Amino acid sequence: MDLNTIKDAFDCAAKKQKLSHSKAEEVIDQIRQEIENALERMQSINNLDSELDYRSILSELKTSLHNIAPPRQLEGPQKELNAALVKYVKALEKSFNLDISKAYRNIDYDIHTLNQVVAGHFYRQGLFDVGDQFISEAGEPESTATIKSLFLEMYQILEAMKNQDLGPAITWAATNSDKLTQSGSDLHLKLHTMQFVKILENGSRDEALQYARTYLAPFGSNHMADIQKLMACLLWIGKLDRSPYHALLSPAKWDVLSEELKRQFCNLLGLSCNSPLSVTIAAGIQTLPPLLKFMNVMAGKKQEWQSMNQLPVPVELDREFQFHSIFVCPVSKEQATEDNPPMLMSCGHVLCKQSIMKMSKNSTKMFKCPYCPFDVDAVQCRQLYL
Amino acid sequence: MEMDSLPNGNSTASTAPTSGTMNAATANTAAPPSSKLAQLTESLKLEHQFLRVPFEHYKKTIRANHRVVEKEMSAVISGVAEAADGNLSGDDAVNHLNSLVSRLQGLKRKLEEGSRAEHLQAQRCRVRLDHLESADSENMSEWNNTRLKRIIVDYMLRMSYYDTAVKLAECSNIQDLVDIDVFQEAKRVIDALQNKDVSPALAWCTDNKFRLKKSKSKLEFQLRLQEFIELVRAENNMRAIAYARKYLAPWGATHMKELQRVMATLAFKRDTECSTYKVLFEPKQWDYLVDQFKQEFCKLYGMTLEPLLNIYLQAGLSALKTPYCYEDDCTKEDPLSQEGFRTLALPLPYSKQHHSKLVCYITKELMDTENPPQVLPNGYVYSTKALEEMAKKNDGKITCPRTGLVSDAKCLGKFPGLELMLICAYTDICFNVTQTCTYSVSLGVTGIIPWIIHKEL
Repeated sequence: MDLNTIKDAFDCAAKKQKLSHSKAEEVIDQIRQEIENALERMQSINNLDSELDYRSILSELKTSLHNIAPPRQLEGPQKELNAALVKYVKALEKSFNLDISKAYRNIDYDIHTLNQVVAGHFYRQGLFDVGDQFISEAGEPESTATIKSLFLEMYQILEAMKNQDLGPAITWAATNSDKLTQSGSDLHLKLHTMQFVKILENGSRDEALQYARTYLAPFGSNHMADIQKLMACLLWIGKLDRSPYHALLSPAKWDVLSEELKRQFCNLLGLSCNSPLSVTIAAGIQTLPPLLKFMNVMAGKKQEWQSMNQLPVPVELDREFQFHSIFVCPVSKEQATEDNPPMLMSCGHVLCKQSIMKMSKNSTKMFKCPYCPFDVDAVQCRQLYL
Repeated sequence: MEMDSLPNGNSTASTAPTSGTMNAATANTAAPPSSKLAQLTESLKLEHQFLRVPFEHYKKTIRANHRVVEKEMSAVISGVAEAADGNLSGDDAVNHLNSLVSRLQGLKRKLEEGSRAEHLQAQRCRVRLDHLESADSENMSEWNNTRLKRIIVDYMLRMSYYDTAVKLAECSNIQDLVDIDVFQEAKRVIDALQNKDVSPALAWCTDNKFRLKKSKSKLEFQLRLQEFIELVRAENNMRAIAYARKYLAPWGATHMKELQRVMATLAFKRDTECSTYKVLFEPKQWDYLVDQFKQEFCKLYGMTLEPLLNIYLQAGLSALKTPYCYEDDCTKEDPLSQEGFRTLALPLPYSKQHHSKLVCYITKELMDTENPPQVLPNGYVYSTKALEEMAKKNDGKITCPRTGLVSDAKCLGKFPGLELMLICAYTDICFNVTQTCTYSVSLGVTGIIPWIIHKEL
């Protein structure tokens, strides 16, 4: 897509609008000038009080205005402006998908459900005021806001971390330290590490040592190597930035730590770490282009589209949208189902059950693996659970 | 437990593997930019409405201003002509011309005001063009975030949640990227319709007469019908007939059937039980008018008829919807593990896949050549990484999380002690068989690969 030509088309339209505008001003001034001239002349002959002169001046004015022909003067620039406007619209229509609702299935969304999803998204993003207002304006029940209290604490912690204050984060991690350990997270230690580095940066050796004894020592049983490294940092106190450990000071560490905290917090709440609405919309943005392309080709199949059980085109989504294992049988090209599960052949290759049944004539004979020169016995194939 | 972020101060040996994985990581991120870029371009192409709406607004302002100029100017000219042809005294003529001059001055002021409004709107069009241009791979996550907000503001405006829409736009500083002012115009009409007042809607129809006529809209006719019905409801029959003569009759040529049907209400009256006419008196007719107006309004401004949110949401839900989403052990990262999303996705089609994709049940990561799938003796498949991790932690014992089967990691396969079989782990490897066709060798292979080539792998 060439945004520059579109921009040029717009600039052209804007220029023509200016031209047309100044032309209009010019014509107005012209008319005024003529009328004022006429007025002047009328006033100068005022004393003579001759009715005829008025008449002639007025009819002269009429003729001169007729000669100026304002409508015709305006017409030219106006036409050019219109052409430029149309051209811009054409440029837009050419470069963009004109109607992205082409692949839309006409179903009535349950507005209530949709609003709940949107409200939940606001709270998840920490937009608490917006969420509250949304609920009251949309007339959703108060219970929609239950998710709010869960995230309030998280955003308080994150806000403090933005100001390099680890206090609330460490308090939270200490309270949930068992659960964190259970889910295999070392966030608690990472937070203490960060606090320790902060103290080092301030150059207070005693305080750092004291902190390490109180808070880092309990992690010794599992994280000895890490703690040893941190202790070595004490040697470079005041010049940590020139030490082998300078990476500890990287400002990016704060972002990483915030992300990690967010993930662990959501995890403990039993929620996904990204807002599900964000994820779905992002997937939709990847899905629409191929879908629209298909709808353009299949313009006549709109009816079928409304009742299809599966999307008519495969859509390759990015990794982050892969939540489930999908097995597509390389022979039949069908997606595996419970009735037609993937089967592991003795050579290590995998086909769907129905394909194996077909190739082995219902397990009555051996067949060749389509991938390798291996003779496969259908009876020895094992079902896989992905 | 790894402390991956801790730097190694002393040992070069231990940094080697890190840099090795780093390289792999950068190679991975460096490989897809061309496809990423194509993806970005494709997604930008969806933004027609984003550029079109402010432009239609701009156009409308230009046209309105132009009409004012034309009207005033011709009024002045005919004023002069009148004076010239009429029988005015000298003083009257001077007064008349003076009033024309001040009228022209007024016009010029109006023109300047109009030009300021035009300028603001042109500015807004430019801001949007620049915003689209600003999208690149570096600021993608922020840009996507803004896009989501734009989509949600659009939803709220269409649903008439104006205050929240304004609030979100303000607190995210995206006022120029959303169409709040355009919707203010709609709000006036919709509010009036909800109060059973058609006059703003009729005024709107007059304003946009030409374009509505061009699209063969019958909104005005429907508004007139409703006004007629209200007269009948009030048993104001004589006025109803007069109204019909004046406003409904002109539509006879194109909409005779509806016209006749509505006229019959004169005979049936408001408390009729005859269903054909009863519906015409129902209050939901007003909701219907609101919907009709919204549709015409969106069409006129080049917006999609459905809120953007619904469109993107539907596409996204379809792409994510698999039969596994509705199972109990659906991962919580999947939006479709949530009740609300499941409900919304219910009437939608499932996604379609041409290639196998294996997501490890334990780590939730996509498996590939780096982290190939392995199968336990009971047929359950997990990623190598997950199994290695588990074996390390539990003295070489692996417990299948879904069946509880404990296997010992001691004698076979990649790591000693376990009968693990590598199932073809060639996901993501592509090679050319001929110059024209690329076979993707994976669990789902397009086309049958000659075994000789396979062997080379």
